Amino acid sequence: MLYFLAISNDTLFIYYLLSNIIYLGLLIVAISRNVRHHHRRGSFRLELIKASPFTPPITIIVPAHNEERSIISSVGALLGLDYPSLEVIVVNDGSSDNTMQELQEAYGLRMARMLYIADIATAPVRAIYRSSLESRLFVLDKTAAGCKADAVNAGINAASSPYVCVVDADSILEKESLIRIMTGVFSDPARVVAVGGIVRVLNGSRVVNNQIEQVHLPKQTIEIMQVIEYLRAFLVGREGWATFNMLPIISGAFGIFRTDLVKQVGGFRTHAVGEDLDLVVRMHRRLQEEHHSYHINFIADPTCWTEVPTDLKSLARQRARWHKGLIDTLWSNRDMLFRARYGRVGWFVLPYLWLFECLAPVVEGVGYTTIILAALLGVLSKAFFLQFLLFGYAFATLISIGSVLLEEMTARRYGDWREVTRLLVCCLLEHFPYRLMTMVWRLQGLGEYLRGDLQWGAIKRVGISANS
Amino acid sequence: MESIFSELGRSGPAGLLLRAILASLLGIILLVGFIVVRRWYRARYFHRRNQRTVALRAQWNDIVSGKLPPQDWRFDPLDCDIVQNILLDNIEMADQENLPPLLDCLRMSGLLDTLIYEARTARSWKQRRSLLALGRTRAKEAIPALAAGLDSGLAETRIAAVRALGRTTVVEAAIPILDRIVAGHLDAPERSLKNALTNCCRSHPEVLVRYLDQTQGPVRELLTRVLAELASPELGEELLVLAADALPEVRASAARALANTDAPYTLPALHSLATDCEWFVRLRAVVALGQVQDAGKIRILLRSLCDTNRHVRQRAAWALARMEPQLQHILEEVVATNDDYALQAFISELERSGAMEKITGALEGSGEYSAQTSLRDIVEGARKSVELSGKAASAAAGAR
Repeated sequence: MLYFLAISNDTLFIYYLLSNIIYLGLLIVAISRNVRHHHRRGSFRLELIKASPFTPPITIIVPAHNEERSIISSVGALLGLDYPSLEVIVVNDGSSDNTMQELQEAYGLRMARMLYIADIATAPVRAIYRSSLESRLFVLDKTAAGCKADAVNAGINAASSPYVCVVDADSILEKESLIRIMTGVFSDPARVVAVGGIVRVLNGSRVVNNQIEQVHLPKQTIEIMQVIEYLRAFLVGREGWATFNMLPIISGAFGIFRTDLVKQVGGFRTHAVGEDLDLVVRMHRRLQEEHHSYHINFIADPTCWTEVPTDLKSLARQRARWHKGLIDTLWSNRDMLFRARYGRVGWFVLPYLWLFECLAPVVEGVGYTTIILAALLGVLSKAFFLQFLLFGYAFATLISIGSVLLEEMTARRYGDWREVTRLLVCCLLEHFPYRLMTMVWRLQGLGEYLRGDLQWGAIKRVGISANS
Repeated sequence: MESIFSELGRSGPAGLLLRAILASLLGIILLVGFIVVRRWYRARYFHRRNQRTVALRAQWNDIVSGKLPPQDWRFDPLDCDIVQNILLDNIEMADQENLPPLLDCLRMSGLLDTLIYEARTARSWKQRRSLLALGRTRAKEAIPALAAGLDSGLAETRIAAVRALGRTTVVEAAIPILDRIVAGHLDAPERSLKNALTNCCRSHPEVLVRYLDQTQGPVRELLTRVLAELASPELGEELLVLAADALPEVRASAARALANTDAPYTLPALHSLATDCEWFVRLRAVVALGQVQDAGKIRILLRSLCDTNRHVRQRAAWALARMEPQLQHILEEVVATNDDYALQAFISELERSGAMEKITGALEGSGEYSAQTSLRDIVEGARKSVELSGKAASAAAGAR
């Protein structure tokens, strides 16, 4: 027993150390990449890209299920984006509310008897509508399949542009976000097959006409913790992985993909819990199998604002769902692990996701239990126990503060001294008890996945209008 | 001397942990300190910059005219940077009348020479920044330095040089790019090259034609794609030669270019391209026909409406459905083709453009039996057929 406790404690120590060292490495890489990107950005003139006849068209796909409250303002904001050649396809995914009627009234939809070729199988499309007021807008009315992926796939089938951008109906894209994200393609159009942008927390900011007017930190601590998490995940994690062309995920809330490639891999997998992660991993798989030279990029300037849960119950559901999505994708792509044909994705990023993301709640849960047991049984010196906790706390705080530094170096959205101070203070407070709670929610997700419960679960949202 | 490992071994895991804690805490303090100092420094810097900008703006006319000697602002790095930025912004927006005094100021102050020197000698991002600034000056003496950037071993520097040459918007800047492309010595993204050439050759597209004779394969395709954007009626005969080129991409670009010419040869040339063996050349020709203002195109478009390729059919239908005054006549012609696909495509486009109601309204007003009622029945039949095919496609998709 004592021997087991000692091994368990050592394992946890090494595990924690390794995990944080990897993240520290990613932080350093992300800082250097950001500095380079900052210099490179100076050479891009957005107005020249806008004026160029060679800027490729983009289709924005907006899956909408019971979005009657926000759909008109969302579509209006998307049509108002600064991009020279744009097509917006709203997919009404069997809404039971007035989503379709709202669109009908606002945009004068008329049925367009267009040929729709289902390259990706989806639930039946009832009709395709075209706006008589806005030629760039199409609405696909389809029967619900119970998942967002199916709606997005229908939109991809109808898309006529070489690039598709998937956006959530309840998210806000900044006016220049599409041009900015396309700079990631223009750097190497032959190789870049997908680009992710950053997703930021909308809560607390002032929204006017579905555009962010003033950025503020949310009021509640639980929301600020999520701001830090998003900064860490996007500015450190994704920036770092993208440097080595190992980006495993492009957020479902905002990303662009090459249409032909998405169709080739069969689109978003319906009933996948984490359909965004799943798609990117399958894209890696396909491109590696076919020995293509490719790049899946991430750029930190194009911004999408999204609302995050404000109550613990919704947050717990969201985190459990994310963890289920992660396990689901990793399990269905387990054959890619340590296979030479999948290159660095199979050798580095997938093992990392298995070890330090998927199994993290288990290892941490077991580790904390054994440490407490060992301390109670007197096997572990109390000084060592406290030192271990302090080390874990200090190292993780260092990474969180590093992500705030990156935010300062890139966008500097939180301009006020008081807000930065609050952000830094929350970095110091994040680990107790927020991290522990996250661990429990992820364990719940693992349990649900093992029981076969793959439901999304409803998340309570305040709505964009509440921020207006 | 003891190794670090033996020292660590002696101090044990607790010692290692203690050091790790100290290192982490030190890291936290350094990061927080850096954030605070950076914020403070930036606030101070921008405050000072704003003050100096206001002061220099107040003396702007004197700076440009040289009444205020360059020595007064040139050797203060902040002042110099502000003046350079304002000058470059003004140059970009200036017309031919206002440009000379701004360029004179740039030359007399020695800023232009500094930029040329940096573009030639600096390395990495500093060189790229100078190249781009030099491009914004639109000064012809900057072109050799920018051209030298095209030969850089770094891809990013080459791209910066291409962009900078494009920003000069003078035809002389296109020559170094074209020389290198034709010789196969320039490795840069196609989009950057096309944008730069489009900007430089806008007023003299004939420069591209000269180089076309020396090219083949992808380079020829690239140049004709640019030419398609810039084509003018003066290029007539050259475009006719391109319309008969062996490369389909070149023929497609020629079709695109012909849309901008509106000359007597336009329609016959597009007619020929609309029957090309490659579907995308036919598609380009049909798109171009949509832009041409000549009633004679109806005959060609009706033929394209019966094309074997659905994209060509759809685009021909799109063009025909927008010829408002002749719609009823076109509808009769479409029905006369006895091609159900053509009729379906045309009806779909009429629905989409909102012209269907007008057509059916006009047909409703006719007598009990006439050619029009017969046409109305055909249209109604076609509408139902389109609707059914749409449902069948959806059902098939669902079944899959």
